[in-house]
Amino acid sequence: MTASTQTIRTGVRPGQQRTNTKRTLVRAGAVVSGAAIILWTVVPLVWMLLGSFKSATDVTSPTPKFLFAPTFDNYVALFTGANNLTPYLLHSIVAAVGSAIIATVLGALGGYGLSRTKMKGKASLSFWFISTRMAPIAAVVLPLFLMFRIAGLIDTLPGLILAYLSFNLPFAIWIMSAFFDGIPPSLEESAKVAGCTPWQAFWYVALPLTKAGLVTTAVLCLVFAWNDYAFATVISGPNSQTLPIAATQLVTQTGVDWGQLTAIGTIVVLPMILAGIAVRRWLVTGLTLGAVSGE
Amino acid sequence: MSTPTLLKDQAEKAAPLRPTMRQRLRPTFNGWLMAPGILLLGVLSLFPLVTLIAMSFSRVRLLGGVRLEWVGLNNWARALGDPDLWQGWLLTIVYFIVTLGVEMVLGLSIAILLSKITRGQGPMMVLVLLPMFVAPSIVGLVGRYLTDPTFGLYASIMQRLGFSEDILGNPATAFAAVTLMDVWEWTPLIVLISLAGLSGVNPSMIEAASLDGAGQWKMLRHIILPSITGILLVALLIRSMDAVRYFDIITVTTNGGPADSTKIVPLRLYEAGFRFFDLGYAAVIGLMMLVLTIVIARLFVRMLSGKGKTS
Repeated sequence: MTASTQTIRTGVRPGQQRTNTKRTLVRAGAVVSGAAIILWTVVPLVWMLLGSFKSATDVTSPTPKFLFAPTFDNYVALFTGANNLTPYLLHSIVAAVGSAIIATVLGALGGYGLSRTKMKGKASLSFWFISTRMAPIAAVVLPLFLMFRIAGLIDTLPGLILAYLSFNLPFAIWIMSAFFDGIPPSLEESAKVAGCTPWQAFWYVALPLTKAGLVTTAVLCLVFAWNDYAFATVISGPNSQTLPIAATQLVTQTGVDWGQLTAIGTIVVLPMILAGIAVRRWLVTGLTLGAVSGE
Repeated sequence: MSTPTLLKDQAEKAAPLRPTMRQRLRPTFNGWLMAPGILLLGVLSLFPLVTLIAMSFSRVRLLGGVRLEWVGLNNWARALGDPDLWQGWLLTIVYFIVTLGVEMVLGLSIAILLSKITRGQGPMMVLVLLPMFVAPSIVGLVGRYLTDPTFGLYASIMQRLGFSEDILGNPATAFAAVTLMDVWEWTPLIVLISLAGLSGVNPSMIEAASLDGAGQWKMLRHIILPSITGILLVALLIRSMDAVRYFDIITVTTNGGPADSTKIVPLRLYEAGFRFFDLGYAAVIGLMMLVLTIVIARLFVRMLSGKGKTS
């Protein structure tokens, strides 16, 4: 054993000098490409954040301004101006949080059922969930527009919540079932033998073990709904428009108020980044619909 | 002291484990748990599907109450015979291949680089993931801000390099720009998935190969790539379903222009449906897109059940 490692070490020795320079070069290359990657991902976000604190002249200065006198004018204008952002913010919160809560609750129940059921149609049921989750928004919004128009749900927050449930609910059921699959059913079986009802076995044994899964599901549902533009642009109206709609409304024929626009962008992006980072350990599982597990 | 009654009690308690005929006919506990979700999803999924199919055979009237007037195969004939729509499909396919191709190659490369980093991998990973959480519509708007010909940060860098045209005003560069915005937003997802795959590669295999004198490239080609093919395929399928789903970036940047150079199929659907209110025709496009998604979803589910859940 020692002899063999010895021969390998000595075998490397003649080329040691060259390997070292090569290693330094590789390391330098890695550092440079690492820096390039970080710049590529971070610059647009930092530029948006900086823009939101710039005055009207600085934000559209022909020579990009890196140093400037920061101002809160854009944020103040958004919440005090003629076109107040507060209702948009409230609509966004109600629609996103509402659909996330309903999806997570029904998803936890349905996901547990789907994970533990031995019924015949399980495979088709799973396939139905996943194809509903992945259905193109453009294809879903057409019939929803018609149905909502008949039901009087156009330009209402319940309508928006229902529209978001069309993708969040199948997502939550599917992903919660993947999380429950990771918990051995034998735990609940022994609880049942000890006298628990099936509901107690679910509520006191299985559910507490998948707290991380619940939080991940809720956060991802929140992000998907909060970030939506395609549904809101068709289904919402003056009484239900959300933040992304407010942002695009600043783009007009006569010009764009980039200071306010970058401020709305920051308001939309920041909470989702924080929420996403909070659950990053389980993101792989969540975003691959349980196909890949990170841990 | 085991009396017959006690035995009966025990038998009843054990019963849930072995379903009797009566229990099999009644909805099970699992069935009850799934029922609310399935009912709501039925309303939000099956009902719209039937409506969408009905719409594709109708002229949809909106004024004076919603009415569907049967027009047979009229919408289908118009859609299938529309050269502009086929042009849109062609563009969509090119857009898919370019964005997914760049995202896969770039995502895997970044993941390999990150996996080699020993210090600061966590913070670096967080920074790399950020774009994924940004609303696509905001990505598009910030993209416009960066590429504006008079004050855009990236446009001014391009001008320094000698390229002074309006990036979003020119068909070729507009297409490249919306592609890169998509790449910016979704490459992190591929990085995330690939990295999970890379951490699952058996370290003893790598060690054995390096002892056998395999270089970096050979290692990648013969050890690492083969062991993460499954995971890369998952990433590709998820991204391709998402690519059919999302079109916000293009909508808010070019809205299909200039000269239809970025008008992928979902934008044509929105234009037909919500600008011209030709909802029957739009429904045909919607069904075409749905079929594409279902084919990809079929492959995805087959992969999951065939190989078991890859870890």
